[in-house]
Amino acid sequence: MVRFGRIPLARKNLTHDYWRLAVAVGGIGFAVMLMFMQMGFRNALFDSTVKVIDELNADLIIVNRSQFALPAPQRFSIQRLVQARECPGVSGAYPLYVEGFLSTLRRPRQKAYAIRVLAFEVNDPVFRSTAIRQAMPRLKPPNTALIDSHSKPKYGIPVHDPERLSKQSIELSGRRVQFVGLFEMGADFANDGNVIMSAQNFARYFPYRGRGADPLSIVDLGIVRLTPHADVQEVQQHLENLLPDDVRVFTKQGFRQAEMGFWRTSTPIGYIFGVGLALGFVVGVIICYQIIFTSVSAHMPEFATLKAMGYRDRYFIALVVCESLYLSILGFIPGLLASWGLYTLLARWTGLLMILTLPRASLVYGFTLAMCMTSGCLAMRKVLSADPAELF
Amino acid sequence: MSQTVSLPATSSRLALTDVKTPNIQSRGLNFYFGDGELRKQVLFDNNLDVMPGEIVIMTGPSGSGKTTLLTLIGGLRTAKEGSLKVLKQEMVGASAQQLVRLRRQMGFIFQAHNLFESLTAFQNVKMALELFDFSQQEMRTRITETLTRLGLGHRIHYKPDSLSGGQRQRVAIARGLVHKPKLILADEPTAALDEKSGREVVTIFQELAREEGCTILIVTHDNRILDVADRIVNMVDGRIKSNVYVQESAKVCEFLQKCDFLRDLTPRTLVEVADKMFREDFSSGDTIIRQGDPGDKFYLIRKGSVEIEATRNGETKIVAVLGEGDFFGEMALLTDAPRNATVRAKEQTVLYALGKADFLSVIEQSPTFEQELRKSIFERQ
Repeated sequence: MVRFGRIPLARKNLTHDYWRLAVAVGGIGFAVMLMFMQMGFRNALFDSTVKVIDELNADLIIVNRSQFALPAPQRFSIQRLVQARECPGVSGAYPLYVEGFLSTLRRPRQKAYAIRVLAFEVNDPVFRSTAIRQAMPRLKPPNTALIDSHSKPKYGIPVHDPERLSKQSIELSGRRVQFVGLFEMGADFANDGNVIMSAQNFARYFPYRGRGADPLSIVDLGIVRLTPHADVQEVQQHLENLLPDDVRVFTKQGFRQAEMGFWRTSTPIGYIFGVGLALGFVVGVIICYQIIFTSVSAHMPEFATLKAMGYRDRYFIALVVCESLYLSILGFIPGLLASWGLYTLLARWTGLLMILTLPRASLVYGFTLAMCMTSGCLAMRKVLSADPAELF
Repeated sequence: MSQTVSLPATSSRLALTDVKTPNIQSRGLNFYFGDGELRKQVLFDNNLDVMPGEIVIMTGPSGSGKTTLLTLIGGLRTAKEGSLKVLKQEMVGASAQQLVRLRRQMGFIFQAHNLFESLTAFQNVKMALELFDFSQQEMRTRITETLTRLGLGHRIHYKPDSLSGGQRQRVAIARGLVHKPKLILADEPTAALDEKSGREVVTIFQELAREEGCTILIVTHDNRILDVADRIVNMVDGRIKSNVYVQESAKVCEFLQKCDFLRDLTPRTLVEVADKMFREDFSSGDTIIRQGDPGDKFYLIRKGSVEIEATRNGETKIVAVLGEGDFFGEMALLTDAPRNATVRAKEQTVLYALGKADFLSVIEQSPTFEQELRKSIFERQ
């Protein structure tokens, strides 16, 4: 339809009145931003929740069979890890201890806030983060720990000032703690911050975990590493058969998906943001329809004249589709920029992971295009109703 | 033999052997708005022929149906009854595709300029050419030529909001003319223009009609441009009340005025008489009036000649030969007596006839007419 040398009527009509164009772009940009925010929150929920899993240096993960989500811990005996080490193809099985209920962080004369504590046997390759690996030697002394630099600001930990950090007097569950380094993880919907420490220190801070027994004999997650060239599925199956029924063995990806699946299907949160996204879309359609409809209405006699001259319906269809396409692009760019800014701000304030990836931006653009096209189709009837017979 | 008796005398050019097919030909055209109970007829039995190169001005009060007729001719509405041929295409029952194809051969000029504010004069005009496969170079040449001809050579790349009202209208006219349409439909094209611009526009219309054989149909109330019309069609209440080929009407009046008994009639009455006459064609040797028949028409010879043959006392002889501009047949109408002579065409002859009722009503209206007629008859005896 668009031939070389043709008058670009769609573009000319859109850009003729700069003020109107600015309002249109603003309106569509706003709808784009609404969608980005809803999708951002929704993804932040999932991304933040599984961030800790992503950070694990695991091929397979052993969990208590009755565990349904990370914040609701179900533990199992370290004996299972000892058993797992015997399985062919397994090069190591390491415990990860997690405490989210008993652990609170408090500055002197301040309120205490709950924080998640992750603990591991120093020298076990449990985390992928090089920052954590490098900090391992520093975790050996008593009462030392690492603090998540993306923890919420409410803890009042001077994470960006190493000097003050080392001097700051802080209590973890009633015992002094010294932060000897940082790592990056971020908050999620259940946890506002993270602390990592050695298993030995963990046993000091939370001695009652074992209900009288060795606090380190009860494990939250088992991190399984495989020998090179071992088949993940095969070993997983093997481990499932080998270990008693009180635990399950997941691949890392499988565990990630199970965790996300819980949030997506078992909580209303996923739906709420889905509805929010849909509302953003609907608002966008309405705004966009208004804009295209007004632009079309203002040119009805001209369109009718073109019809009289012998322009066919498909010309007008192409025209409106073209206008919708331009509007979707023009509106998306400022919407994207504004959303990016808001994501950055929100990530800083809430510690949630607001990640703007290319596939996600593409998806929102897809929604934007659909939004503009829907509006275009609604406004199409108006254009096609232009009746040249009324011009005389 | 008489032919096409329904054709009014002054509705077309005389040229008998005008073989050109009309650009517009409507027969018994009816048109209705609405459906069912609400159906309202707005056009009644419209018959109209317009030849290539003719400029037709359509007048009539608002609501008379002239605009509706224009939209039917322009293929913007479709009629369901009667026949309407435009540029050889039958419009009644034509498909939307056919109408679109036909509309591309027409030029539309509307009362409002309907230009895109976002496009320059050049681009607005170009919209009309982009429907065809012209090269960019040819488009540029044509657009520049047309705009220059309309006195906008120095405003080619201006947008409508920096043009005056008259200039905008001329851009719209350029858009209607640039693709050299065979038929131009214009609705009050001069309404927005001052006297001078209006005159320029109609002059261009005349040139197009003369040089390109373009048919131009103008709906207007602007009596400043009546003089460009070859034909004036007057519509009242959905009917074509009069359809006058102006030059022919003038010619007939000139002839009528030459008759002694019509000399004192006002031009208006003469035109009315001329309008009521209808055309009859005869070949050489055809008998027009037979002696002894009852008289029903009054005749004016438009072209050709006739011989009058009277039989008196058993002797038949030719008493007179009448030529162009002469008239006959009035006596039987006035005296209510049978024809007193036989009239035969001597060659291919065109007569304009006036029916008895019309003839008598004209005479009743005008005592002078009757007096003159009686005197004339008296003198001829």
